[in-house]
Amino acid sequence: MDPDEVEFWAEKTPIQIIPSFNSQTMFLIGGDIGPFRASIPTRVPLWMAIHLKKQQQCKIIPPDWLDVEILTNVKEQEKDNKSFVKMPSEHYMVEAKLILGNAADDIPRVDEIRTIIKDIWDIRMSKLRSSMDLMIKNSSMYAAVDNLTLMEMNSIRPILPNALDQIYRMKTIKRGLTGRTQGTSILSHSKSTVSFNS
Amino acid sequence: MFAEKACNLIKELSRNEGVLPPYNMDLVKEVCTEIKLLDEQNKSDGAAVANESGIANYSNELYPTLRVGVAAVKRNVRCLMAYHYNRLRTLRTMRWEFGSVLPPDVKANLNSNEIEWFSKYSRSLTKYMMSLGDEGLNLGVNLRPPKSLYIEVRCLVDYGKYELSDGTVLLLKKDSRHFLPRSECEELITQGVFQHIV
Amino acid sequence: MSYNSSYSPNYYSMDDILATQERIPCKFLQKVPRMGRLNPSTEENDLKEGTDLELPLWLAIDCSMGRQPVVAPELPKIFKENYREILKADANAVDLHKFSLYFYELGSYVKGFDHRQEVHNILLHTFITRFRLIMDLANNSESDPSIQQKLDMLERRIYAAGHAAASKLNKWLLESGAQLEAAVLVTNHKKRKRVDDDLIGWN
Repeated sequence: MDPDEVEFWAEKTPIQIIPSFNSQTMFLIGGDIGPFRASIPTRVPLWMAIHLKKQQQCKIIPPDWLDVEILTNVKEQEKDNKSFVKMPSEHYMVEAKLILGNAADDIPRVDEIRTIIKDIWDIRMSKLRSSMDLMIKNSSMYAAVDNLTLMEMNSIRPILPNALDQIYRMKTIKRGLTGRTQGTSILSHSKSTVSFNS
Repeated sequence: MFAEKACNLIKELSRNEGVLPPYNMDLVKEVCTEIKLLDEQNKSDGAAVANESGIANYSNELYPTLRVGVAAVKRNVRCLMAYHYNRLRTLRTMRWEFGSVLPPDVKANLNSNEIEWFSKYSRSLTKYMMSLGDEGLNLGVNLRPPKSLYIEVRCLVDYGKYELSDGTVLLLKKDSRHFLPRSECEELITQGVFQHIV
Repeated sequence: MSYNSSYSPNYYSMDDILATQERIPCKFLQKVPRMGRLNPSTEENDLKEGTDLELPLWLAIDCSMGRQPVVAPELPKIFKENYREILKADANAVDLHKFSLYFYELGSYVKGFDHRQEVHNILLHTFITRFRLIMDLANNSESDPSIQQKLDMLERRIYAAGHAAASKLNKWLLESGAQLEAAVLVTNHKKRKRVDDDLIGWN
């Protein structure tokens, strides 16, 4: 997937807004939204919130976790923990990018939040890289990694699967390629018949 | 060494990823000639080596010669097939990226069979796309998640007249800017006529 | 488009054809009439039994199979003990391209001539050790493009895929708007045209 495709998924996350207009309920394929009454908070998908904000038709209410104290706490946990901490939102990076990028005026202590989120991201990505390297070094068949968000998971594609594929190819070709069809004989292998030497 | 010319065909293609060099008719003919000569030689060697039931007599002194000759033919054939196959693969990608009309300098590098293949493929593709849904579905657009309904574009070349789906005709001159629905612009952006301004 | 999927060669695969063009040392076990032309150092019509010659992999493999092999192939020097020791010592420091552009593929083919699994082991060891190197290169967008010269073909493919993904991610992190872009082939075509036009301008 591409980052903008991950963003597209994340944009479905609901968020609270305060609209500055009135409108009837909208019947969309994904669900009904509204009705909108000016100054009354409503839940809408993130994509709609950003769209309305750009047209200056609403004020965005930041999600609970987009707060300096809570995020600092998360960051400390992330630093102390060898594995990944469960993030307050499945798509924290996308939500942060979109909300901080388009509705900075609705968020208190915006710059501090931006810095903390970036720090959390950097710590997690660095752990992810080490984790990938460890997996390859041990030639593990699987690695259990909990609490990764989609954007982080997506960052290891396609490099990790490709590398693992090549290791698999090398391991399965025990007796050398015979070039019988002047191509590889690996094409006829089925995974269930292979046993790995570690 | 046998099949050196054949391998040069492959080297020529692999040097230019994504570009089609002119179809090397001369080299292809030379490879075919080598194949024919080898094949004639192999047939007569084969007749000498085989006993009455057509099985190879390993102790016949021409047996190794036959082995080498057959290997050389197979290699030549493989290179020839791969040359043509990979050219078509690139040509297929070009249909998706350039559209149904190829730039003249790209077309100049194709042989007549390849031009015919391209137009057949293009027709097949169009027929397939028209069969989807009620009015057909253009698979070349909406490749990226949408962000906004209208986008601003700058025209990069003197394209001339362009008709929108509602019938309006635009005059696209170099450096002219337009504010158009995203769906109308996508194909021209892919083809490099428009530049998307964010 | 070609880099997103793993290297998985088939009959038409250009990289496999080029990999099997690499030469390995062979000894002829029989006399081969009329094939003297394969040996550049002799004028004779027939290839003598016992001749040592470097043959392309495709020929070496074909002629070494079966009940009556025509040649006995030998391990290329880059898979012999000395070179293996260099890789065991520090695989990351090695310019793998100098060993061979098709190091892993060549190794996978010649594995069959090595009865002690040493080649099999060194291929895995090298690849696994160098993975971090490739991953770091891919994530570092300002890396010197000449570093790629030290990688073999397989590593270059993985690097290219990783680098493309990392660039997209970095672009997403930094930019505020999603820009639609021209197709890759189209952009390359235009760049080449500009170069050609410039050259024509010179004349």
